[in-house]
Amino acid sequence: MRISYNWLKEYVVLKESAEDLSEMLMSAGLPTESIENIGGDKIIEVEVTANRPDWLSYIGVAREVAAITGRKLMIPLVKKPEIKAKKVEIKIRVEEKELCPKYTARVIRNVKVGESPAWLKARLEAMGLRPVNNIVDITNFCLFETGEPMHAFDLDKISGGEVFVKRAKKGEKITAIDGVERALEDSMLVIADSLKPIAIAGVMGGLSTEVNYATKNILLEAAYFEPISIRRTSRKLSLSSDSSYRFERRVDISNVNYSSDRATELICQIAGGEVGEFIDIGVKPAKKNPVSLRYSKLDSVLGHKIPPVKVKKILTDLGLKLKTSSKDKISSEAPGFRYDLKDEIDLIEEVARVYGFNNIPSTIPPIVAQEERMSSDVAALRKVRVAFTGLGFDEIITYSLLSKKIIQNTALPVESSVCVANPLSIEQEAMRPSLLSGMLGAALWNINRRSKDLKFFEIGHVYGKSGSDFTERQFLGACITGEMSNWADGSRAYSFFDLKGAVEAFIEALGIKGISFANASDCRFSGASCASIEVAGESVGIIGEVDANVLKNFDIKAPVYACEICLDKINPYINVKNKFKILPKYPSVSRDISIIADKNTPNLQIVSIIRASAGEVLKEVRLVDKYSGKQIPDGKISLTYRIEYQNPAKTLEEKEVLEAHAKVLHSLESELGASLRG
Amino acid sequence: MKDRIKETESRALSEVKAAAGQRDGLESLRIKYLGRKGEISELFKGLSAIAPEDKAEVGKLLNELKISVTNVIEGSFASLSAKPSGVKNSIDVTLPGISRRLGNLHPITQTINRISEIFIGLGFRVVEGPEIETEHYNFEALNIPLEHPSRDAFDTFYLESLGGKHLLRSHTSPVQARFMEKNKPPFSIIVPGKVYRPDATDASHSFMFHQVEGLCVGKDIHFSDLKGCLETFAKEMFGSSTKMRLRPSFFPFTEPSAEVDISCIICGGAAMEKRCSVCGGKGWLEILGAGMVNPKVFEKVGYDPKKITGFAFGMGVERIAMLKYGINDIRMFYENDERFLRQF
Repeated sequence: MRISYNWLKEYVVLKESAEDLSEMLMSAGLPTESIENIGGDKIIEVEVTANRPDWLSYIGVAREVAAITGRKLMIPLVKKPEIKAKKVEIKIRVEEKELCPKYTARVIRNVKVGESPAWLKARLEAMGLRPVNNIVDITNFCLFETGEPMHAFDLDKISGGEVFVKRAKKGEKITAIDGVERALEDSMLVIADSLKPIAIAGVMGGLSTEVNYATKNILLEAAYFEPISIRRTSRKLSLSSDSSYRFERRVDISNVNYSSDRATELICQIAGGEVGEFIDIGVKPAKKNPVSLRYSKLDSVLGHKIPPVKVKKILTDLGLKLKTSSKDKISSEAPGFRYDLKDEIDLIEEVARVYGFNNIPSTIPPIVAQEERMSSDVAALRKVRVAFTGLGFDEIITYSLLSKKIIQNTALPVESSVCVANPLSIEQEAMRPSLLSGMLGAALWNINRRSKDLKFFEIGHVYGKSGSDFTERQFLGACITGEMSNWADGSRAYSFFDLKGAVEAFIEALGIKGISFANASDCRFSGASCASIEVAGESVGIIGEVDANVLKNFDIKAPVYACEICLDKINPYINVKNKFKILPKYPSVSRDISIIADKNTPNLQIVSIIRASAGEVLKEVRLVDKYSGKQIPDGKISLTYRIEYQNPAKTLEEKEVLEAHAKVLHSLESELGASLRG
Repeated sequence: MKDRIKETESRALSEVKAAAGQRDGLESLRIKYLGRKGEISELFKGLSAIAPEDKAEVGKLLNELKISVTNVIEGSFASLSAKPSGVKNSIDVTLPGISRRLGNLHPITQTINRISEIFIGLGFRVVEGPEIETEHYNFEALNIPLEHPSRDAFDTFYLESLGGKHLLRSHTSPVQARFMEKNKPPFSIIVPGKVYRPDATDASHSFMFHQVEGLCVGKDIHFSDLKGCLETFAKEMFGSSTKMRLRPSFFPFTEPSAEVDISCIICGGAAMEKRCSVCGGKGWLEILGAGMVNPKVFEKVGYDPKKITGFAFGMGVERIAMLKYGINDIRMFYENDERFLRQF
């Protein structure tokens, strides 16, 4: 809300500059957004939190200044208006007492509607409002001064001599003073005459009963409407006003009559007129229960002792009435404008706030011993990040919300994607079902900036549907594209195996055993190089060369290799508790074996045969050379495996090695038809 | 004899010194003194002519002579071969080394890691929670009534329904209730994660960003503890001269509530009118919101607010990272330009 420094001075003495005042209000919990110079005045734009609707008025802010500085609050004194027309000219019928617990109205006859005096216009202009006429301007002025929104109807345009506070009929229409016609619903509270709604209660008046220069007699409304009802109506109609803003935050019901009297007095002063009887329908404000505050609780919440004398002074300065007071506690009653003070903790906050948060000391809470300072999934993520950065991959973070088009471009089904019901734009309409889209986006961005060697990884959630539930799983994605080069070895384009090697290294770093790769098909990846990544026989992810059409959709020309692994699935296999194994006492012996086999024989098959045939003395086997060309017949390939033999119990004898090696060769010959390369 | 030994030693040493750096010269000196027919061998031959009572002493002196001359000649040879022996075998040591560069963690991850380390040091534990949430955890469990103006501060993305009403969490606070439902106090946790708000994207707003939530609950947790933890955090994150101030504020799930500012990391709180581009001359930077857990939040998870108190705080990671690294556009975090990523 805007606060004019000059206007505020009407209610409390201001000894400080607008800037210092703004600092003071900020320390009280009313922060300033900006200070603006306007013709000899300063306008402080403050941000009022939802718990302090009393700060949505000049008197409310002045009251806070008075409370914290100990200065006097100067509320305009209002005399009860003299009633000149005794006759009841209009009947008020409140049909919805729950939505409108208090409704007051007063007829003022023979007003002279005209331009407002200069001082009044200046006040409204300071608030950013366009002056309309003296009557409307006075109700607006009082809204800002007292915080109570009021409305003046043209009495002569109200049909039937009766005013109803009731729910609208479904489909009923009203044109409000903003000139817009709106259809109402039966949940909405309206003010109506015998024919039609004449105001959307608490939100905006109707055009048909608007006060204008032709108006002679008015009906001045001041009421209390239930916050939820006003909020719903205002939201449904997408219509917010200074009035609805205050009603939905709760106005002070005990302030209604004063505000009406204040407006009446100003109308009589400025526009003349004869005041009719005050009609006041509804409940008397209920007596509030006193709230008690135990000093021990205050100390324990704050971790600091504040002397009872100080506590009492703070509360009374804020307008609370002390009811009882003892050595251990006090109880007090909150004023009507502080509806938010209902519980002990509310009083503790008030005391702490005025005492000053910055005057409370700093301490450190006791530390609770815990075996793990990170949940196991968080600890696993750290390991994954260490592994991938160690392998030369840069971490990226991409948006989880994407356009449906990008999801389609990644060859992913849009129908099964989780969608946002109220997206800001179609660019952020759907939740990613895969990390691939984001990785390709990042790859393109960098390729367009002439990057030639890209290795990325991302850790993040992917989202899906499962029956009537949403699913959300933690994934790891990695991709590589371009080439690696150095002056000694020249350059080499990345291949599937560079990424596969990274996956194997990271899996090993997590202590996961039994990883395997099996041919797979997935429309995101090329049919020729795509594998599912399996741990203990379960598929945990996918790796491959990104499909050419997908790359085309992203406008990427270089091959991209990518993988995705569900971290939730590999989590149970992560080995965090390593136990030491005794180092082998006896040396191992290594022997190479070169064979010529059919070109399409899978490596895994050969390794399995070697493992099965070498017996217990086999320690490790790995491919060290793969060759086809001269000297190798067509359709064949030469493969060299290095086999390491070891006996944990004794030094291997040459005889044992020869025996095992012979068995290996024999099995390869008999099972694969392979031959020893001469 | 003793004089001859002495004389031979000093002559040999000075000749070797003079021949330092000359391989041939040293070689001829080696032959001259240590060779089979060299001077020292000749001296040993003369040992038989020495009187028996002096033999032991002279023998010892001869041995010392041999060791001394051997050492000095070998030493000279060694320093000879340590010097570059010619262009033939040398490499260009200024050629670049052959290795792969290490990858970098995203600056958001690095910031989250740093925040986590600081709070781990204060006894906190790091946990995570889901991004797809219910209205219950995002609002009601946090004492934010569905139809209340206090909700206006939390604009939210809703998901197309599968039956229930789901949303993308607009803050990390829902994890508070989730954690408390499953755990008993005392505990201290921090919760890093992504959050979503329908804000139009510009240099300082993003519809997706990261927060770190903190929650410390126990029998005797005070507002002063909140201050102590946050002050430690501010100093460890931004430097030990960082000052902190708390301003009263309002969050439905904490009471008392505070906005927490730190002294400007650029101008150090000097409040130089409008000159500081980071704080705009205010001298202070808002970095997080905090407060004592509202007793109503405890009641909703079945804790007894008479016995339990606690504090909570929440901070925007992008904001902290932007301040820490001097980044002026939040969108850079999500462009993933390698020239950006590799700076941190």
